[in-house]
Amino acid sequence: MFLAAFTSRGPREVPLDATLLSSLLQKDVSAFEQLYDRHSRLVYGLVLRILQQASTSEEVVQDVFLQLWRNADQYDSSRGPFVPWLCTMARNRALDHLRLKSERQRRREDLPDELPSVVVAPDYEKALDEKRRAERVRALMASLSPQQKKAIELAYFEGLSHSEIAATLKEPLGTVKSWIRNGLLRLKEGLQATT
Amino acid sequence: MKNCDQFRELIEAYALGALDLEDRAALEAHLATGCPECGKAVEEARWLVSQLAYTAPQAAPSDMLKGRLMQTVRAEAETQTKPRVMPAKSAIPFWLWAGVAALLVFSIYSAWNARRLQDEIQQANSRAATLAEERQTVEQQLAAAKLEAKILMDPSSVKIMLPGSDAKGPQLEAKWNSQLGIVVMGDKIPMPAGHHVLQLWFIPKTPGMKPMPSMMTWPDANGKLVMLVSNPPESMDATKAIAITEEPEGGSPWPTTTPLWVGGVS
Repeated sequence: MFLAAFTSRGPREVPLDATLLSSLLQKDVSAFEQLYDRHSRLVYGLVLRILQQASTSEEVVQDVFLQLWRNADQYDSSRGPFVPWLCTMARNRALDHLRLKSERQRRREDLPDELPSVVVAPDYEKALDEKRRAERVRALMASLSPQQKKAIELAYFEGLSHSEIAATLKEPLGTVKSWIRNGLLRLKEGLQATT
Repeated sequence: MKNCDQFRELIEAYALGALDLEDRAALEAHLATGCPECGKAVEEARWLVSQLAYTAPQAAPSDMLKGRLMQTVRAEAETQTKPRVMPAKSAIPFWLWAGVAALLVFSIYSAWNARRLQDEIQQANSRAATLAEERQTVEQQLAAAKLEAKILMDPSSVKIMLPGSDAKGPQLEAKWNSQLGIVVMGDKIPMPAGHHVLQLWFIPKTPGMKPMPSMMTWPDANGKLVMLVSNPPESMDATKAIAITEEPEGGSPWPTTTPLWVGGVS
């Protein structure tokens, strides 16, 4: 089911995410359930990685999917794929919750909007199906230097800024900027190389 | 001022949310100029960053979460898709309004009728009381007339003449029955002047005793005077005479004027 979301309709006639999202606009409960079954493990895993607490993570996941149910019309399928948009929304919500919890309001102004901005897939996005791309992303991240990987994870899963990461790792700010930029560029190049 | 190449170095970190305030403000100011290349680069960088979600171990949320979600979603879907029940033109049908109006009119009429009946009953009771008083008066008058007749007809009654102080004026006649009482009668008796009445007195034989006051009255419109005393002194023997004086209204404890009529009791 997870794989089928990004492939053409096969013999089982599994609907595409875009089709389900169209049905969601008509308040189709069945379409919502299929989208939840298809993506809840990814979303929950991401949120749990950020919050490290199951009960709170479930609350956030519930908020994310209810947001999807109630504001499906705000997702424009013609401007980008659904899963990155959903993951961006889940990450934003989880980081928001994390910052509220730790009372680190200083960076609240940095939070993205409730609904994420457009996530445009590059040309190489379709080179791999989702499952293989996920494996590829994990492999590429594992190939980064420990410092690069750690800096990117601190930014992505904990929402830290360059200077906060530098303070956490006790490394120069410029070094941290380089680790993050070079790590992300390597990830990008690795995904491009699959075309 | 940074050029596009310098901003491009910030774009991945911007998509990651890792830029510090100063760098982020500078990049956003540049993006606000509408730079198409940097704009597209940001959108693609967001996709790249979103791929980091795959590095988190996938995990299954509890079935309870799905249960809660589906319950909420089904409830909201039912609410939004349920055809709105248009209210009737009136929640209360016309016939019910008519019934209420009729009941209201009937209630008002009933209240008015009850009030009217109550007034009529009150008036009837008042008339009945008046009639009872009149009847009682008539009965008293009848009883007095019967007593007068008995006194006048009884052979044991003693006749007493009361000549007036004015020899040319009318005189009175009395009959005293020791058992029944005394009746004093006269015709063409003038009405006492002002607020005065005619008062009857019993004058005792014992020297020095004051006259005993008795009843007071007026002659009627025809000048007819009748005085009935049902409780005269027990014995005529102790009474020297009876007299009538003109006294102020309400009577007096002793005579204040010269008697107009005096009759000796033999």
